[in-house]
Amino acid sequence: MEILTAMAIGILFAIGIFQILRRNVIRSAIGLIILSNAINLFLLSTGDFQGILPAYVDTPAELRSDALPQALVLTAIVISMGGIAFVLSILYVISSRYKTSDLDEIQGLKN
Amino acid sequence: MISNQVVLLPILIPLAGAFLILLLHTWKVWQARTAFAVMLLSLVSSGWLTYQVWFTKEAVIFQLGGWIAPYGISLVADYLSVLMVFMSQLVLFLGVTYAMGAKDHNIKYPTFYPLFLTLGVGLTGALLSGDFFNLFVFAELLVISGTILTAISDDRLGAEAAFKYFYISLLASAFLLLAIGCLYISYGTLNMADLAVRIQTNPDQPLLYFAIALLTATFMVKSAVFPFHFWQPDFHTAAPTAVSAMLSSVVVKLGVYGFLRMTTLIFVDQSQELKLLLIVLGVVGVIFGGLSAIATQNAKRMLAYSTLAQVGFILIGIGWGTMLSIAAALVFTFNHSLIKAAMLMLAGSVASRSKVKSAAFEVITGVGKSMPFAGMLFFIGCLALAGIPPTNGFINKYLIFESGINIDAALVVILLASGGLLTLIYTMRAFQKIWWHPLTESDHLKPKGDRLIAPSLLILLVIAFGLWAQPLIQYSQITSSWLLDPQNYIQSVLDTIITQGW
Repeated sequence: MEILTAMAIGILFAIGIFQILRRNVIRSAIGLIILSNAINLFLLSTGDFQGILPAYVDTPAELRSDALPQALVLTAIVISMGGIAFVLSILYVISSRYKTSDLDEIQGLKN
Repeated sequence: MISNQVVLLPILIPLAGAFLILLLHTWKVWQARTAFAVMLLSLVSSGWLTYQVWFTKEAVIFQLGGWIAPYGISLVADYLSVLMVFMSQLVLFLGVTYAMGAKDHNIKYPTFYPLFLTLGVGLTGALLSGDFFNLFVFAELLVISGTILTAISDDRLGAEAAFKYFYISLLASAFLLLAIGCLYISYGTLNMADLAVRIQTNPDQPLLYFAIALLTATFMVKSAVFPFHFWQPDFHTAAPTAVSAMLSSVVVKLGVYGFLRMTTLIFVDQSQELKLLLIVLGVVGVIFGGLSAIATQNAKRMLAYSTLAQVGFILIGIGWGTMLSIAAALVFTFNHSLIKAAMLMLAGSVASRSKVKSAAFEVITGVGKSMPFAGMLFFIGCLALAGIPPTNGFINKYLIFESGINIDAALVVILLASGGLLTLIYTMRAFQKIWWHPLTESDHLKPKGDRLIAPSLLILLVIAFGLWAQPLIQYSQITSSWLLDPQNYIQSVLDTIITQGW
């Protein structure tokens, strides 16, 4: 289970980074979403991950997963949601101004 | 040490103020006035905090929710945090003052002042938090408010620059979260003091160096250190003047704060390589920033590159890591914020007079002919950036060079001195172009530009801290010797007593 989780997070991370580096703005925004999900999964797995039992009071201590990373992940999800909503809205403004979704054609800052 | 709620005030006052101002959105004038009053109140509260720390000679700490230190979230106002918070609040207050007299359209948006205040909340909170995750949350608040403020800029390129910056900084915060995860999995705590203790006792965790690298990258993006700087000139140029004066002066200091905490508190034993890296990148930044500033054709962009160079000086001070050099870095941090905010405000007020609102030299050449007072202020600002005596810039450079000579770092000092000369070249060129050259398209000046109250106050402070530098230097030296013993911080956080009630 641990190896499977690690591999899944790794693959998600790789896909995220690869998509971020694409020229298409929509693809790179999706890459950002995947990357932030990969990081959230990583954070979740830091909490002594057993995968089965939640952190209730009567769970045996050795099987219990740590509750703090779950709280951290909740906060991180909310923040990344806000961030991605903002990225998408900026993308909308930019792509309607330049009539393109190709990052190489958005060159206003190149003087 | 007793848990003290005063630490909350510089965070809570602007936060409450932001929501209050949002409610006032139909009364534009009252929005501005409330923002002014709120920032003034917040400045007073952070001044009070500084006073408490300076005169009781111990850190003021608040444990949120009454949970004792390693378990709850601590807000820590030690010597370093308090200095940075006071500096930020001072500049933010003057930023609101500038915004009130500015002619930009975006000032009239109902969300401008609330976002400006949440920018302040994010910065203050990140500087005061004694917990890594809390720092992440406040840093995100800071990034999002700053980005939205830039995206609504009058400059058409604002949205593009905001997009560029936001991508980079979302990646940086992803790195910060990864670092938090690595530290948590290795040490099981996120409290900085507790983390420092656990890293000292058990430095052999495999993920530790990974976490250090990720944190370094994060803070380098935050303060636009040389290889991570490429978003910074665009972002600071496209932002509205009042905002870019904040971004380029106090917001970039968050990374400086992070490096100070990393090298003096959390990773003391592991920080040798990091310090070397800071020195190398600082020198490169000084030279590269100076050369790029000479090459640009835009006054605000020039000042943004100059920030890159000046942050380089600060990083070198941190990298040397002696008592004198850290004190020099702190003095430099404080003074540079004042100088850079003033210069950007002056450049912005010059640009507000020209027909097209832009700070490009081809537009603003000769605009200064009709504003001699701004010219005088800008000239003093140039002297301060270049480090010439009656200003506080001289104190900065003097202290950095002195601390360098004390540890026989001759090569670095020579490189820094040549980098300092570059400053003189580009600032004087900008001054000549704006105030000495004849106006190219004569008839098109707007009759009124942005008000000069805020930059005049800042320049006044620049001269005041140049002539009467003793208190700041003394404070920085106390701070620096306090920082160099990490036990000071650790004990004051971990030994806080929670009392009932107030």
